[in-house]
Amino acid sequence: MAKKVVGLVKLALPAGKAAATPPVGPALGQHGVNIMAFCKEYNAKTADKAGLIIPVEISIYEDRSFTFILKTPPASVLIKKEAGIEKGAAQPNTQTVGSITRDQLRSIAEIKLPDLNANDIDAAMKIVAGTAKNMGVAITD
Amino acid sequence: MTNRWWELQIIGHPAAEDVIFWRLTEFGCQGMATDLIPTPPEDLPTLGTERALRVRAYLPEATAHTLDLSALSIWLQQDAIAAEILPPKVTWSLIREEDWSSSWKDHWEIQEIGDRFVICPAWLSVPESDRIPLRLDPGSAFGTGTHATTQLCLESLEMREAQCTPETVLADIGCGSGILSIGAILLGAGHVYAVDTDIMSVKATVENCNLNNIPSECLTVKQGSIDLVQAGLDDSLDGLMCNILAETIMPMIPQMANLVKPKGWAILSGILLEQAQEVSDVLEAHGWIIATLWKRGEWCCFNVRRG
Repeated sequence: MAKKVVGLVKLALPAGKAAATPPVGPALGQHGVNIMAFCKEYNAKTADKAGLIIPVEISIYEDRSFTFILKTPPASVLIKKEAGIEKGAAQPNTQTVGSITRDQLRSIAEIKLPDLNANDIDAAMKIVAGTAKNMGVAITD
Repeated sequence: MTNRWWELQIIGHPAAEDVIFWRLTEFGCQGMATDLIPTPPEDLPTLGTERALRVRAYLPEATAHTLDLSALSIWLQQDAIAAEILPPKVTWSLIREEDWSSSWKDHWEIQEIGDRFVICPAWLSVPESDRIPLRLDPGSAFGTGTHATTQLCLESLEMREAQCTPETVLADIGCGSGILSIGAILLGAGHVYAVDTDIMSVKATVENCNLNNIPSECLTVKQGSIDLVQAGLDDSLDGLMCNILAETIMPMIPQMANLVKPKGWAILSGILLEQAQEVSDVLEAHGWIIATLWKRGEWCCFNVRRG
């Protein structure tokens, strides 16, 4: 019989660097999950992606065991990487700190598509463009 | 004094997740936890969705003041408006570190491993048993005995029990809670050099040795890695244990070969099955003979000896 899922938690963490500090500790500790076991598994599976934020969706079962699946990096991380910037704009909509081309926008949307609430690439591009606009990253043709 | 953290809680529309993550990262939060919750009734008219996104992010208390958090709250509202998403509700409170770091331990139970060991949480009585009790309080260090790799390493050690004599000198690289070092000494090894780059692991290893009444002359624990073991040795090792991750172990394999006696052995784990071939190639290229490869779940453990 399938085990009952009692919690579903998503964590956005630096690849290969999960530790028993927040947000991992509070998020998993309250469910009785062995935090260090999770860290070890997450770090093993993301060690080759060092430098990226790799979100992970964790299913917690009634016996406090867990499984997880890795998700795509947040759009803002991919945008910063493509635009070659360290930080976004402090004030949304008032500053431009960098730019990406429409092709770059499309490639980010293609990466993000499986995890976005979007039915097609155009809808995904629109969502990613919204994040870019907020960050002060312009879209150029 | 106990460390305290700001816990920020943001309840908003699920579409705001990326924008919130970006703003929190800019603010200095290292990661965040999200889940979907039924929208609180008071927020329903604002959010207009039955399932709300709940984001929790954390900052050490000393790195932010309430004024900073108020400013962050305003930024998050502005971000949402700019992205044409309904503004989130932001609250914050202080939490104590031990509130969460120890909560999972309430569910940690006495556990038998292999044929020889019984792992006993420090706060529980040692059960009557023919097995060797190994008492542990890992703190925030790795190594509780519940993970497949730790179990495989302890079972591998058990297979080496006949070779664990008062003359046996071993190393434990990446000692974590000290579970493997202590296990080896309880099996009869004379001395273990234990190292870990994490100071909390060094502390946990010392404390766990005391819990198990390990004589201080049996163990040397230091913060560092394989270089430190090499520097502290008068003679070659009889064996070594290393349960970290494949990416960390592989670069150390050439140096490991120099540390261990010609007939010496090693137990290596923290390696995913899919990485086994790559690790195996590096081991063989540096003169190690693979005696056994044990698997459990997605993980494996190499028992190797010098050629």
